[in-house]
Amino acid sequence: MESSYILLGMFTALVVLMLSGTGLAFVLGAIAFLSTMFIWGPSALIVAVLNTFDTMTSESLMAIPLYVLMASILQKSDIIDDLYNAMEKWFGGLHGGLAIGTVVICTIMAAMTGVVGAAVAAMGILALPSMLARKYDEPLALGAICAGGTLGILIPPSVVTIVYAITAQISIGKMFIAGIMPGIILATSYSLYIYIRARINPKLAPIAEDTLNIPMAEKLKSLKTLALPGLVIFSVLGTIYLGLATPTEAAGIGVLGALFSAAVAGKLKINNLSAAANDTIKVTAMILWITIGARAFISVFVATGGADSILDFVQTLEASKWVILFAMLAILIFLGLFLDEIGIILLCVPVFLPIIKILGFDPLWFGVLFMITAQMAYITPPFGYTLFYLKGVLPDNIGIGQVYRGVIPFFLIQVVVLAMFVMFPDIVTWLPNLGSN
Amino acid sequence: MLNIANAITTTNKHIYGLVKWLVFIIAGLMVVEVISRYSLTTPTSWAPELATLLFGPFFLLGGPYLLHMGGHVAVDLVSSRAKGKLKMTLEIAAILLAMVFGGILLWFSVPLVISSFNYAETSYSAWNPIVWPSKAALPFASLLLLLQGFAELVFIIGDSNGSETSTVNEVK
Repeated sequence: MESSYILLGMFTALVVLMLSGTGLAFVLGAIAFLSTMFIWGPSALIVAVLNTFDTMTSESLMAIPLYVLMASILQKSDIIDDLYNAMEKWFGGLHGGLAIGTVVICTIMAAMTGVVGAAVAAMGILALPSMLARKYDEPLALGAICAGGTLGILIPPSVVTIVYAITAQISIGKMFIAGIMPGIILATSYSLYIYIRARINPKLAPIAEDTLNIPMAEKLKSLKTLALPGLVIFSVLGTIYLGLATPTEAAGIGVLGALFSAAVAGKLKINNLSAAANDTIKVTAMILWITIGARAFISVFVATGGADSILDFVQTLEASKWVILFAMLAILIFLGLFLDEIGIILLCVPVFLPIIKILGFDPLWFGVLFMITAQMAYITPPFGYTLFYLKGVLPDNIGIGQVYRGVIPFFLIQVVVLAMFVMFPDIVTWLPNLGSN
Repeated sequence: MLNIANAITTTNKHIYGLVKWLVFIIAGLMVVEVISRYSLTTPTSWAPELATLLFGPFFLLGGPYLLHMGGHVAVDLVSSRAKGKLKMTLEIAAILLAMVFGGILLWFSVPLVISSFNYAETSYSAWNPIVWPSKAALPFASLLLLLQGFAELVFIIGDSNGSETSTVNEVK
């Protein structure tokens, strides 16, 4: 009984202190350290420090800075501008082509970067003015950018995926591969939706007349700059899939490839490298400091019997396993509305995963469902992250309300796709399992 | 007081600017490992392990300056709307919690690092290096976090008095 009071106290403190605006890392860490001292005495804190030493030398976590660095170097070599120009030439003549092209670019960018903000902000700067100049419907254009931008969570290599795989103690490589099909299905659904709406009502997304008569030779030429970065991504994922290297080693090779491709593009400058290193240490320090705090918090939770009591509670519910699954997904979406995904994973996955296993679900499959709920949270008003990234680059005459209206259809598509994966788990699991057999 | 706070922030900024380059060394070590495994047929014993020893100092020593930049993820539902006294109270509470975290880490990691140094603890791997320099990053980063916390308190209180605050230019 006493332990449940302690747990209640810890979670109340968590909510209250989090609302104060303190960094998540420090809230988790301070609560965990203080309750450790309170329950087991100060000497028990040595275990927390030993856990931190362990985190410091984790080969798997080291993949995070390397993928961020690879993505950042590729971005700094102006590849996105080239991508966008190529896209306009290829898709401009299609119904809703520029919006579809935006989704396509976001998908490609998702394969290069593991972070969401970059794609949304870049498309807000490049694609939005171009679509608006061609009289695209504003909510449609904005929705495509927001939804497309979040694909980076699911499509490998993704930082969120790495953190999930490590926390759930499953293979990072398999988790990467598991994200490919669902990512492509989502991107295709978005594109189909845009195409159908533009077909029914061409006023929403007029054909860009100026791009109709571009000769094939010029179109092909526009793809030239993409070849090298494409090769980098392909070889990184390929080596992981074939088991030639660990995800961390593959990321190291990816960094080398990104440097090479930046050099070919003439963008290998010390300023760019310094800026890329800045991006990297910022993201890595943020994630790893939270990891230290969350590990301490979760180990107190487990040691006081909190994990066991939740398992017991779920088993006494005797509810259908689908109801429990639905409840867990709903909790994830809800938390996603105001908490960072990394924090949610580090807190919820250790609690949810034993439940998932007891119910007989596949942790890999649950991971994909989790990433989709994360995407939903990213575009859900009023606190979705992408909405804020986009707000920074919106022209003055467009209000945030337009963005809200724009994301609703895409949110519904995500719900449908999520339901499809719940009902047909094989869509998610066949590709990763193919690799292991 | 403000001078001390600015000096702390500048120090942390320089450390941040220095350790950020470690990621390139880590990437290079990974490349060396893969190349030597496939082309020289013998994997190195030291490259992956040296990378993991650099990883801790890399992200830990970036943390204190991240506090100054407000780069640690937080829920700003309430704090972004707060004004006046409430805003200041919340800001101070946030910094104090970070200092509690840093203080406890410092207090309990120092003895472990000292004993690692005294016994010349090694990793028991094939390469078998001493590990205290890497471990020492934890108390060092905790100390820097504590100091940065102190500096932030000076900035917050200075700000509320309307006097000059941090003069350190942020890394873009």
